[in-house]
Amino acid sequence: MITAILSQDLDIQTVTSAAWIGGAPMLCVTFGIILALLAEVIPTLAAARPLAFVGSLLAALFFELALITDPQGLIFQGTFRADSASSSWGALFVTAGLLSWLYSQRYYKLEAPFKPEHDILMLCSVLGMMLMAGAEDLLTFFIGLEVLSVPLYALASFRRVRNQSVEAGLRYFLLGAFAAGLFLYGAALIYAATGTFRLEELREVGIHSKLGIAGVALMASALFFKVSVFPFHFWVPDVYQGSPTPVTTFMSTGTKAAAFAFLFKIAFMLPESSAGTLAIISLLTMVVGNLGALVQTDLKRLLGYSAVAHAGTLLLAVTASLVGDPLPDGPLDAALYYMAAYVFTACGAFGLIATLEGDGERFTRIESLRGLGQRRPVLAGALSIFMLSLGGFPATGGFFGKYFVFSSTLRADMMFVSAIGVLLSVIALGYYLRIIMTMWMQPAKKDVPIPSAYRPSSSFATGMCVFFVFALGLAPGWFLDRLL
Amino acid sequence: MTVPNEHLLILAGILFAIGVGGFFLRRNLIIVLMSIELMLNAANLTFVAGSRMHSSGADPNLEGGLFAVFVIMVAAVEASVGLALVIALYRRKQTVSTASLNDLGD
Repeated sequence: MITAILSQDLDIQTVTSAAWIGGAPMLCVTFGIILALLAEVIPTLAAARPLAFVGSLLAALFFELALITDPQGLIFQGTFRADSASSSWGALFVTAGLLSWLYSQRYYKLEAPFKPEHDILMLCSVLGMMLMAGAEDLLTFFIGLEVLSVPLYALASFRRVRNQSVEAGLRYFLLGAFAAGLFLYGAALIYAATGTFRLEELREVGIHSKLGIAGVALMASALFFKVSVFPFHFWVPDVYQGSPTPVTTFMSTGTKAAAFAFLFKIAFMLPESSAGTLAIISLLTMVVGNLGALVQTDLKRLLGYSAVAHAGTLLLAVTASLVGDPLPDGPLDAALYYMAAYVFTACGAFGLIATLEGDGERFTRIESLRGLGQRRPVLAGALSIFMLSLGGFPATGGFFGKYFVFSSTLRADMMFVSAIGVLLSVIALGYYLRIIMTMWMQPAKKDVPIPSAYRPSSSFATGMCVFFVFALGLAPGWFLDRLL
Repeated sequence: MTVPNEHLLILAGILFAIGVGGFFLRRNLIIVLMSIELMLNAANLTFVAGSRMHSSGADPNLEGGLFAVFVIMVAAVEASVGLALVIALYRRKQTVSTASLNDLGD
């Protein structure tokens, strides 16, 4: 990289217009962070705080959507690629950030004075995700990974007067730092074997030595930690349960999408013989996630296990891209669609738990949902829709996500694996339907208080989620044509 | 007399193994943090060794060294957040043992 910079004689023109446009979403978020920080120290700017957050993310979303149809290619000395895939992922990160922010309004009571820090950390995290999705070398990706993770460690333990939140943050930190160590050592081995860590050059030279393959294996394990794939999934239920629910909302959707975005980029490094192992890992992930979810009594833990199962399905798409889907972009498009549906569904589901929860932990157990259908029919209806979409019910976004992933694996001639995958998805319906039954069929216990549910921001976010879950489930062609 | 590159890679491998072992076996969170630092430094050593392996007199390959500088910076960031979290735990529980992480679960 340094050689590349030096060889260009440090020309002023190195920041081209393509770089400005391609980097515009990240610039928007950076300006948002600076503005929000300034609003903290300058009292007259205090009113601009939410404006800085929403405004910067909306501007970033605008540029990401524009970049999907007008990709800029390699920018920043070939370290970042602003193409339609990275922009589609970017739009998902921004959406996840916005939705989690809407749900975090008035969620915190004791920590309310620190809400600005919460928002700034969230913006930093979105920035890191964008950097990860577009990274074209391992260094850029690593910086993105850390810009994403470090704020999330702090956010997970944001309610630091609660033991559970502190523990969630520490667990997330320990495993995240361990994964970062694995990733770095893997990247170092690849560099030692080939002399480069740029994806472009690695694609040309290929990775043949044992040293390099060991590096790829370490790096893949680190990414498996981040996307919560078996056997690196054990932290997920604990961290999801202990973190403040709006943070869980953001973590479960954004982080996973960012790590998968890069997993697709480095899939070419994996030797073709590893496809079988990957398929087995995906299926085991689905088994562990679904069976784990069946026995949970805590809603956030249940959704944590369900997130593990969804990661397994997405890994099947990565496997399909490794085996060779006749449609070259098939697996990536399927994963994007799946993730888009998952972002709206999981944000809605976790967000509604945050809404119900208020400041107490009363409504995070499944049995506390009893009778919700009679007491809060609209809220229970929305939660039911999200559960059906998570289960892949037709007419919801989750159905087409699964449909595209499995048709991609079928095109790649993975009959047996696809059959088991579909079967496991059907088992998953069991625990989603159990939640719906609890809400509508079982009478409420006398002593459980009625949730005080009405908050304009979370109602708006829920409305958006429901709308997009149905839009993705009813008009998949529209989204495929325009946004992929 | 110069150190052969293989020796550097082997030393880095041993450092990494010690780091991983410490991460899983030790109960004191401060020592777990130190083990993570050890892992990062093993990666740094490998990067610098790789840089030397792929350099020749006229054509230095400095990318490895560049990566190592970034890793040092990130290690500092991680340590600061990690120690803050350990302090938060200590304030709640008056201990820094991993055994005290037992509040989550069904």
